[in-house]
Order: sequence, then C-alpha cells, then structure tokens
Amino acid sequence: MHATFTIWSKHMAKFVRNGEESVGLALQSVLWVVLFGVGMRGMVGEINGSDYMSYVLPGIIALSALGGAAGGGIILLDERLRGIMKEYLVAPIPRLSILLGNAASTATKSLLQALVMLIAGLLMGAQLSFNPLGWLGAIVLLIIFAIGFAGLALAVASVSRTIMGYHGMIFLFNIPLLFASNALYPIDVLPSWMRWIVLVNPTTYLIDAIRTLAFGSPASLSLWLSFSVISIFTVISMWLALIAFKRSVRM
Amino acid sequence: MAETAIVAQGLRKHYGDTIAVDGIDLEVAAHSIYALLGPNGAGKTTTINMLTTLVPPSAGSAQVAGFDIVKAADRVRERIGVTFQDIVLDRDLTGRQLLDIHGRLYRQSAAERRKRMADLVDLVQLNDVIDRRVNTYSGGMKRRLELARGLMTDPEVLFLDEPTQGLDPQNRVGIWEYVRRLNKERGLTVLLTTHYMDEAEEVAHQVGIIDHGKLIVSGTPASLVSNEGGDLLRITASGDLEAAAACFRQLPVVQSAEVSPSNKQIEVLLEHANKHLAALLAASAQIDFQIEEILLSRPTLADVFLRYTGRALRD
Ligand SMILES: Nc1ncnc2c1ncn2[C@@H]1O[C@H](COP(=O)(O)OP(=O)(O)OP(=O)(O)O)[C@@H](O)[C@H]1O
Ligand SMILES: [Mg+2]
Repeated sequence: MHATFTIWSKHMAKFVRNGEESVGLALQSVLWVVLFGVGMRGMVGEINGSDYMSYVLPGIIALSALGGAAGGGIILLDERLRGIMKEYLVAPIPRLSILLGNAASTATKSLLQALVMLIAGLLMGAQLSFNPLGWLGAIVLLIIFAIGFAGLALAVASVSRTIMGYHGMIFLFNIPLLFASNALYPIDVLPSWMRWIVLVNPTTYLIDAIRTLAFGSPASLSLWLSFSVISIFTVISMWLALIAFKRSVRM
Repeated sequence: MAETAIVAQGLRKHYGDTIAVDGIDLEVAAHSIYALLGPNGAGKTTTINMLTTLVPPSAGSAQVAGFDIVKAADRVRERIGVTFQDIVLDRDLTGRQLLDIHGRLYRQSAAERRKRMADLVDLVQLNDVIDRRVNTYSGGMKRRLELARGLMTDPEVLFLDEPTQGLDPQNRVGIWEYVRRLNKERGLTVLLTTHYMDEAEEVAHQVGIIDHGKLIVSGTPASLVSNEGGDLLRITASGDLEAAAACFRQLPVVQSAEVSPSNKQIEVLLEHANKHLAALLAASAQIDFQIEEILLSRPTLADVFLRYTGRALRD
C-alpha cells in the first residue's frame, strides 16, 4: 500500500509541477463542455425531460476519464521504455502496487478533470439535483471506472513496444467506447443491434448511474446493475493488466 | 551476513536461441569488492540482472546476502542497492525528490530519509544542485546521483554496472573513491562491472573475467597479473650488446635476454625487475656498452584480459 501511495504521489507531484499537462487538461475539459455541449444543445434541446447540457455532461465526464486512462498508460509505457521501471522492479514492493499507483494517479486526475467539467457545465446551465449521497455515489463509481480503464490502458502499455503502437491500440478501444455508448444520445434511439453493443460497454453503465445519482434523471438501468458491472469490469481489467505487466517485466 | 555475500551456481539465462549467460559459478566474499570484466555482450549485465532479481534465471541458482534470488526475491531486494548500465533517472524530478521517493519505496521514515540524504549528498558532492531538476544535471552529476540512490537504503550488497562509463577522470576517480570508502568504513560488499582495466586493477579485491557467458578465470588482480609472466626491461644502449645480453642470461633471475633486430636494444624478461636492476647493471659493468635509456614495462590486467578473451572485436 505504501508503494502505491508513493508512486501515486510521485505522479501527482510531476502533474502539479508540469503546468502544461495540468493546465492543458483543465482547458481541454472546459472546451469539451462549452463547444460540444453548447453546439449540441442548439440542435437537440431536451432529452428525457432534462436539458441537453445536464444530459450530456455525465457522458463527457466519462469520456474524458477514458482519455485520462490512455494518459496513465503512456506514463507506464514511458517509465518502462526509459528503464525507470527498473527502480521499482528491484525494490521490495509488489508488482501490483506499481500498477495501482499508476491507476490511482490516473483516477485522481480524472476526478479533478470531472470537477472542472462540472463547474463549467453548471455555468453553462446544467442542473445538478440536490442529492449529496448521490454525488458521493457518483464520485465512487467514477473512481472505480477510471481505475478500470486505467487497467485496460496499462495492459496495452505493458505489451506495446513503442509509443506509436500504443496509440494505435488505444485508438481502437476509444472509438467504439465513445460512439457505442449512451454518452451522446439515449439508447432507445439506436437500432437494436447497436443497442446490444452499447449494453456491453461499461461506459454506458457509468453514465446512466451518474445521470441518475447526480442529475436526477430516471434510471434506465438499475443502479445495482451499474455498480456491479463497473466493479466486475474493473477487477477483470486490473487482473489483465497484472498478467500482461508481469509477463513483460519477466524478460 | 554470511561470509560469502554472493554465491551463484550454474547460473544461466537464454533469450530464445541467444545464450546470454552460460552457467556461471561465482563467489563473492562479504565486505569485498569484486569486478566482473568481459567484452561487450559477454553477459555481465545479464548476470547482474539475475543477481538483482530483475530477471529470473533460466537455470541454476544464486544467493545474495544469504537469500535465494528467486524464492526470496523480496528479502534480496531489501538488502541490495543497484545502479544500472544506462542512466535511469526520472528527469522531471529534482535530485532530492528522487532520493526521497526511493527511500519511501523502501519504507524509510521521514527522519531516516532526511539523514541519509544529507550524508549521501555530501558524499557525492551534489549539495549545490540537489534541488535542481535532474534534466539540468551533467552526466557526471547523474551518475553520482544514481550512486547516492543506490546507497540510500544502506544496502549490504551494492551492484554497479559500469558506473564510470562516459565520465571524465575527475568523476571516475571520485566514484571509485566513494566506493572504496564505503567498503572500508561500512564493510559494503560491491559487485561491479567496468571496461576500464586499470580501474578494476586498482579498486577490486577480486576480479572475474567472463566471455561468451562463461566465467573463464578469476582471482586477485595481482595473482592474475603475475601469471602473465615477468616484467620486461627495454635497455637502449650502444657498444657490445651481444656480450651484455649473454652476461644478463647468466643471472638466475633473468628468464631471457635478447638483442633486438635493430641492434640498439636489449629486451630482458625477468620478475621483479625493479628489485634486480642494480644486480643487472653490476653484472654488466665490465662490458663495453653504454646505456642510454631503460624502460620498464610490466604486464597489466589489460594484458590478462586480452590473453583470455582474444583480440577479435565483439558486437
Ligand atoms: N532482453 C534480451 N533479449 C535478447 N538478447 C539479450 C537480451 N539481453 C541481453 N541479450 C544478449 O545477451 C548477451 C549478453 O548481453 P549483456 O548485456 O549481458 O552483455 P554485457 O556483458 O553486459 O555487455 P556490455 O559490456 O556491452 O554491456 C548479448 O549477446 C545480448 O545481445
Ligand atoms: Mg552490460
């Protein structure tokens, strides 16, 4: 645990120090909300009784968590390719703690990013429901989700040989996760074959749960189902990451 | 700690068809400095990687600081310090952050870390730059910082893979001085590799030469060098050189004495040339020849190295 915390704090120290990364991430979040949200709102108006900004904000937050996970993978890959990883590997710490440290810093950044987006979204007219317990639940779910996708990214980062190769693989994941979800449009407008794809995408469950918990829209999937799907997904992806990582460092 | 800090039995590592290390038996006494020498690609780094638990051996076994490198990898990791062949420092951190994080990975308390950092930064003379980012360091500073990091957790055994590679003479001398001091004052065991034979000869108590993944010969630098045969005296002179050479050959200490084809030099092979030089000159006092210059050359570890590993280039 202490190693996870040490690696987390190292990544956070670098993040805070590296103005480009932190400011860039914050601006990116604001741009997403303002440009995308406003543009789409003009066209769509309302969905399921809530205004489009409230509808799309959870989607944008989830998608930026995906981007954040990809960034976490880059950090691992960079440490691996540059040999910095060796310092961890000869230290008396579990291999898993290296991955968890990385996933934890990724989740923290996603959370900060979500906060910036939320503020921007509220300023742009999104309506938060007053439900502190729901907010807490949404935050917990977002953290689990971010760790889960960080796990997938770490698995890919463990097997990639170059940064370019990694990007190629991650892109392959990101496109379907973005469009085959309920992030931008409700599930019922989709043809049924695509609905099935959307329903195996964990992102869908996160977004639906956040909408329910924080923005008061009626749940189209049960909260317990969402919670279970996201948790199981996260356990599986971290497990995959650990297998891939152990294989890659046993060289 | 046991009397032997590192023991390896039949240590082997192959990557596909490439055999990087081909059954190495190694014994490094506690509190000693052992230099592993060998041409490029001989298997030095791979050996160190196995001993430091970075890669598992394909066959064979080894104990470091009394613990098995596979079955008790974490016990080994707690007791060793390592610097790698390539510089592996996170360039976006300051030297101090880097050392601090390292100490935290090993569960050192804040007070312990502060104290170790103060001592080590003094030792490797990085006081002026320790709060600067590592990407502003020179190569020498980076190496010294890596050494400090390897020592941060007060290891029993220190592994140094080419610690002086690419450094200027000042930094080289500095690094070896720290190593020797730590060995003497704290009884630190050191296993190192280097391509600088003169440095190995000077700093190491024991050296081992490996080639093609095998340990070919090991011993103290002095014993290896003395096996190389005696010293060579090159006497440049004029006069009756043949008579002088014949006279030298009479002496029991002289192994051989030949006049060079140019007829200007006598080459005398003998042991401990500096001790017997006076006797040599006295013996030839009656002969009509005038010495202009005497050059003494003795075999070095580099000669030993070349004899065992040949002169062919490696990749
Ligand atoms: N990960 C690897 N995959 C494949 N081959 C490897 C790997 N690591 C080392 N080798 C091979 O094993 C052999 C020994 O390499 P090693 O790095 O141990 O040599 P070395 O003695 O440290 O050389 P140098 O003095 O150049 O550092 C070489 O032929 C090298 O190509
Ligand atoms: Mg090497």
